[in-house]
Amino acid sequence: MTVQLKGRAEAITIQWIPKYTFMERLGHWLHTATFVPLAVTGMILYFPFLQPLAQGEAGLLIRLVHRIAAVIFGLLPILYFIIQPRRLLLNIREFLPNKDDLGWLKGAPAYYLLGRHEAMPPQGRFNAGEKMNGLVMIIAWFVFGLTGLPMWFGKGVIPPELYRWLVVFHDLAMIVSVCMFLVHLYLAVAHPLMWAGLVSMRFGVTSADYAAEHHAKWYYGPKRAMEIWEAKKREAAQH
Amino acid sequence: MNGKKSEIKMSRREFLGLSALGLGISLAGARPATAVRAASPDEVAILYDPVKCVGCKACQMACKRWNRLPNESTDPLRIYESPWGLSAITWNIIKLRRTEVGWHFFNYQCMHCADAACVEVCPTGALSHDPLGFVSLDRDKCNGCGYCTQFCPYGVPHLQVANLLTGEAKSAKCTLCQDRLWAGIGGPSCAEVCPVGALTWGKRGELLEKARARVTELQSRGMNARIYGENEAGGLHRLSILLDEPEQYGLPSVPKTPAFARAWQRVIQPLGNVAFGAALVGILGAFLFVRRKIRMEEVR
Ligand code: HEM
Repeated sequence: MTVQLKGRAEAITIQWIPKYTFMERLGHWLHTATFVPLAVTGMILYFPFLQPLAQGEAGLLIRLVHRIAAVIFGLLPILYFIIQPRRLLLNIREFLPNKDDLGWLKGAPAYYLLGRHEAMPPQGRFNAGEKMNGLVMIIAWFVFGLTGLPMWFGKGVIPPELYRWLVVFHDLAMIVSVCMFLVHLYLAVAHPLMWAGLVSMRFGVTSADYAAEHHAKWYYGPKRAMEIWEAKKREAAQH
Repeated sequence: MNGKKSEIKMSRREFLGLSALGLGISLAGARPATAVRAASPDEVAILYDPVKCVGCKACQMACKRWNRLPNESTDPLRIYESPWGLSAITWNIIKLRRTEVGWHFFNYQCMHCADAACVEVCPTGALSHDPLGFVSLDRDKCNGCGYCTQFCPYGVPHLQVANLLTGEAKSAKCTLCQDRLWAGIGGPSCAEVCPVGALTWGKRGELLEKARARVTELQSRGMNARIYGENEAGGLHRLSILLDEPEQYGLPSVPKTPAFARAWQRVIQPLGNVAFGAALVGILGAFLFVRRKIRMEEVR
């Protein structure tokens, strides 16, 4: 698929290549559409200075929304597993960390703040940051479910000490996942280097140039990607 | 872009602004420390004397009747101790305890601390210190968060869930029959009804004097008697005479809020605030910075 944008002085040609399946995108957006209301309603219950919003009828509405969203949030990965079990396992495998990810961590400041491409080793279909995001969300899904369900059905029944611990872990999962989400949101919608990310999560395709630059290990394969990167580093050193 | 060295530049104003924002977010959830309260002699209180108690459970019945609390199903194997303990619909109960002097009765209800943990943590003001001394509960204000059930050192308040879907719940506990006291009808129904004077009510100072005299008398009879509640948690408005260590009655010598409960407010809340503050400041800083450093025209 090729789209041509003709400007005044030159023509920019973007060659689009497929990146995400329909189910991946649907899952991603449904996850977002339930995570955000869960985070918002949860934080209203969590922050003492938002307590006035959690009172009376408003408080009941907030808790109702939290529970409805939680049901969908909880079912999504299960449905995905039922419909495309192999895909889900592949996705989870893609998120598992390996020692190459340290290179991303080292290069990230120079790359994301200063735009120095040669500082960033080649990345797979998900870069190490996205992998971290994915892994945190998977772990958080379990923690939210394992603490949230007893909080829901055990309120007033399970011993208060246990309840308190459930809330503590629910809150910790919230703190970690919401911080992760904020960074993810910024990179996806506002960071100039990441311009194609949002496009690919919306339409399933990415620019070939962008993929070569940002996901070289996926685009070229690991070996070729390393060679290209080494060459790039040598060139940068000469300047 | 092409490997040329760049340095991080940010104006002082931006830096200060961002730092202030971060600090503000971190502090937004902090709660001011409250002073320790203490009971005064003129406040209303109850005194319980287990040596006088005959275990008739009239107090338990009177409590249910006045507060219109439904009955609980009874466990036939625990014929005497039923229901088993305090709950959202049982605010007053007599149990059997084995102490130095053998098996005897002991009455449990809200201790009405002068410095109550439940009042301190209640976010809505549903639980409050009444000028008469007891810990009042306004069920209309209660939002069912359950903090009181988690923080009470005596495990007194219980949550009653009204609706599973909305999570609607109300806290429930003995209010010393606050409506009776406010209306001037009389004292707490448990104390009013007690046929043997094991539960009595009146001014806390006078009850303390009575308790001291009673303790001396019981000691002269060879019992290891003592007062519980004179200074515990700022002073309780439910005073008890014990015949053994408080622990034998399941009462803490030093009533403390469970550590796990504090962990949330002291650690998790500030931790969360710092994390969110840092994340937001970092992102805003990065946004302002990157906007100038990386130009879209040069990005592939
Ligand atoms: C499987 C998914 C989830 C379930 C079953 C669940 C369930 C619950 C329940 C039952 C409560 C107690 C509400 C009440 O007071 O009645 C709660 C509170 C809360 N939830 Fe969730 N939740 C889930 C996911 C999430 C997510 C994704 C977030 C945030 C990103 C979140 C953040 C919170 C927070 C901050 C609170 C307030 C806890 C407090 O009192 O400090 N939850 N949740």
